[in-house]
Amino acid sequence: MRTLYLALKYLAVTLWSGFVIFPFLWMLTTSFKTANGVTGGATWLPWLQYQPSLGGWQSLFGGAGGVNIVKPYLNSLVVTLSGSAIALILGTLAAYGLSRFSFRAGPIRNGDITFFFISQRIMPPIVLAIPFFLMLRWLGLLDSLPGLILIYVALLMPIAVWVMVDFFNTIPRGLDEMAWMDGCPPVTTFLRVILPNVMPGLVVAGMFCLIFGWNDFFFAFTLTFTKTQLLPVSIVALNSSVTPWWALSAAAIVSVAPLAVLAFVVERFLSRGGLAGTVR
Amino acid sequence: MAEIRLQELAHAYAPGAPHALKPLDMTWRDGGTYALLGPSGCGKSTMFNIVSGLLHPSEGRVLFDGQDVTRLGTGQRNIAQVFQVPVIYRSMTVGQNLGFPLACRGVPAPRIRRRVEAIAERLGLAPLLKRPANALTADQKQLVSLGRGLVREDVAAILLDEPLTVIDPQQKFELRRILKEINAEFRVTMVLVTHDQTEAMTFAEEVIVMNHGEVVQAGRPRDLFERPATTHVGHFIGSPAMNFLPALAVAGRAVVPGTGLSLSLPDGLPADGLMLGFRPEHARFSGASGAMRGRVARLWFEGLDEIVALSHPAGEVRLRAPAGQGLAPGDTAAFTLRDTALRLYRNGRLVA
Amino acid sequence: MLVLRDLSLTEGGVPHLAGVSVEAEPGRMTTLLGRTGAGKTTLLRAVAGLVQPQSGQISLAGADWSRLPPWRRPVAMVTQQFINYPHLSVLDNVAFPLIRRGEPREAAREAAAAMLGRVGLAQMTGRRPAALSGGQQQRVAIARALVKRAPVLLLDEPFVNLDYKLREGLREELAELLQSQSGTVALYATTDPREALQMGDCTVLIAEGRVLQAGPPCAVFGAPATLAAARVVNDPPINLLAAEITQSGLVLDHLGPQSAGATGRALPPGRYTLGLRAEDIRSGGPLPARVALTEVSGSETVTHLVAGALPLVMLERAVTDHRLGSELGLMLDLGKALVFGADGALIPKGASHG
Repeated sequence: MRTLYLALKYLAVTLWSGFVIFPFLWMLTTSFKTANGVTGGATWLPWLQYQPSLGGWQSLFGGAGGVNIVKPYLNSLVVTLSGSAIALILGTLAAYGLSRFSFRAGPIRNGDITFFFISQRIMPPIVLAIPFFLMLRWLGLLDSLPGLILIYVALLMPIAVWVMVDFFNTIPRGLDEMAWMDGCPPVTTFLRVILPNVMPGLVVAGMFCLIFGWNDFFFAFTLTFTKTQLLPVSIVALNSSVTPWWALSAAAIVSVAPLAVLAFVVERFLSRGGLAGTVR
Repeated sequence: MAEIRLQELAHAYAPGAPHALKPLDMTWRDGGTYALLGPSGCGKSTMFNIVSGLLHPSEGRVLFDGQDVTRLGTGQRNIAQVFQVPVIYRSMTVGQNLGFPLACRGVPAPRIRRRVEAIAERLGLAPLLKRPANALTADQKQLVSLGRGLVREDVAAILLDEPLTVIDPQQKFELRRILKEINAEFRVTMVLVTHDQTEAMTFAEEVIVMNHGEVVQAGRPRDLFERPATTHVGHFIGSPAMNFLPALAVAGRAVVPGTGLSLSLPDGLPADGLMLGFRPEHARFSGASGAMRGRVARLWFEGLDEIVALSHPAGEVRLRAPAGQGLAPGDTAAFTLRDTALRLYRNGRLVA
Repeated sequence: MLVLRDLSLTEGGVPHLAGVSVEAEPGRMTTLLGRTGAGKTTLLRAVAGLVQPQSGQISLAGADWSRLPPWRRPVAMVTQQFINYPHLSVLDNVAFPLIRRGEPREAAREAAAAMLGRVGLAQMTGRRPAALSGGQQQRVAIARALVKRAPVLLLDEPFVNLDYKLREGLREELAELLQSQSGTVALYATTDPREALQMGDCTVLIAEGRVLQAGPPCAVFGAPATLAAARVVNDPPINLLAAEITQSGLVLDHLGPQSAGATGRALPPGRYTLGLRAEDIRSGGPLPARVALTEVSGSETVTHLVAGALPLVMLERAVTDHRLGSELGLMLDLGKALVFGADGALIPKGASHG
């Protein structure tokens, strides 16, 4: 009875894993195909069913009909990392304030302010397109990295605030007070006593910021043109009248890679129980 | 109203793990009041959970009125429970809370109302029936928890897990009185789990002292106080704890050297590991000479009483006496004991 | 000496402190006794600087503390909830205040290890607080509070969340540990009268944000200044009997006229309240009463009775089990009663006029 149960369990896991990995497998094989290999029916095994070629990969570096994605790739990295870092820092500080101090403006209290932050993510991005465009133009930061980083901070900070407020609320105020009485002024208390206890929150918030930042297409598209290009936009530029599946597949793999690495790193932290309590 | 019998009951949380509850056999009579007393981790919560059905024991059986309920869940055992933290349904009124168990069983509404009113009247909750349960004070919420257990006419027993912890000291007496009155009137078996010896001794007709998963002694509060079966019970019950002094065997008597404290040795008892014990309350100061004489090391004033720590080469003893003995640290003082106050222990167990 | 003068604090319209003045000497344990909500915690937090009183002054050895934020006040506090730094080991927890103060890491850790040895946790220095039992966590908190030898030590019902027997043991340990720190002012808040009287060199009675009385335990217990003070300091509760002294003698409100000279004192006619302690009521007398509850605690029995409509509490130094609802005859030893005037103030023995 137990072996049957185990066998079923493993079978279910295997099936589900297959289901999940399939798209990546497809992308991987497609990226090594030529036009013939793609259109001529489903083929899987290289050298046996089709001839692998590096055409798809070459077009990523400015080869035939392609676009050099190295610069956009680096731009994306810079914008995402800096945007996330700044959003995380500012968001964490804001969350600490919302958790520890009582703000009041008429009927508006802490909970309302937190909701105000979160509500920024409820809006469809298109609502913000024109205002952001006008604001960046006014600042002269259109089509530039700093401008984009600024926008990303505005978009990602609500996530940081949202995640961190909950985490700070689970730390009892008595801990702050104990640190004060042990001689720590408020800033030292925050850095040395409170932050180490919300590490899981920082990881989760950071993870969300990186993912949302990296995946953003819309704002990268509307707010940049020629001088600065981000990865999602440049991948779209790979398109032509004949859809180059092989190039797109290669591009997709390259885009997903950093997030996959992030997932592996965080998963180890997750499985150690470091994120206990983040599931809500 | 049921007689609860625990038959060869034991529990280990995993096969091969040490017993969280060592094998025991016990019967709780229908309508009696019992207390499980012991420090944290002694196994009282494990026993509580087994009787209530939240835990299935790895060995042994639980019988209600002769019926084996070991494998039954809590719902089927008709057990009412009151926990440390009042458990109430916050979205309902007090009346709805009280009637909930009956409503769940499909009892017709008029009968529910009558029963709820009767119980509420009994517990003094009648004026609060329409209030939202959330708006009550802690002791009122505990009464609602209790009432919810009493509405079911067939409730087998009420189990209380440290129910007075959140109650203000001023209200504890009220709740204790109500618990005793309920027990007398409804004749429902009540089992209290606590680490507070005063609570246990005042509530129960029989107190079961536990330590390290084992029942150390079970008996009437008075017996536990006067004749503790082990030095642990003597230590745990009573404030201050019982005094124990090492004794030597001299001419057929156990004697504490340097004092007049002695008790005759039963025949054939090996003479090692002997201790003589007595309760601080049984000593009476007797001026310059008495059964034991020592130097006053410390004094504690407790209002009506004083506690005096007397040091002596054989050990330090604590005595409780009415305030105003006129002693000060450094004085020499002596005391005598009541006739039957001394107890003889060997290797921690009561011998005489 | 720590001097609190006229502290007042009102929050949301509720006065938590209303003109509290306390003087606490170094090397002595000053206990603050009062019911929950009396203002003890608020008072300790005001001394620590965690709340700001609206008026009043706090000073230590003459130096005014009112402007100092908590991190500049030399205080240490142990609270009811065991608060330790979860991310640090037990040793680092105790060393934390010393390192913050600027001491070198090694010396701080040595001092911490020594203190942990004194509270019996030498084995646990490498663990995290979450892995310790409640009693052990509180010992870590105490070790951390003591290691920095702060001039003021605040203890807010530190043992109330622990097992009964553990409480007794830790009280003694604490007293011993404090003996070696003779310059420290220690303030200990509690709701348990026996604990307050036992632990304190000086007991301060607090109710509704006011100080009712302060002094050595036997003085405060033996002569509570007012009815409110008598209520706070007595456990079991004191019996308060409303009475009137007329030309013909003493008449107790619910119990009728008493024998002449019952109180043993000469008092002018008027309204009084007699405070009779539970041990001054005995069974085997003429007053009929019904038993409401009997509480046996080993060597004593506390019985709650109702005489007519008047609730009474009786303490007997013996184990007697009076059945619920049974009738007893009581004898009230009025000669031992405390006499309070119509204004609620104590009339000391030996005073000839009210």
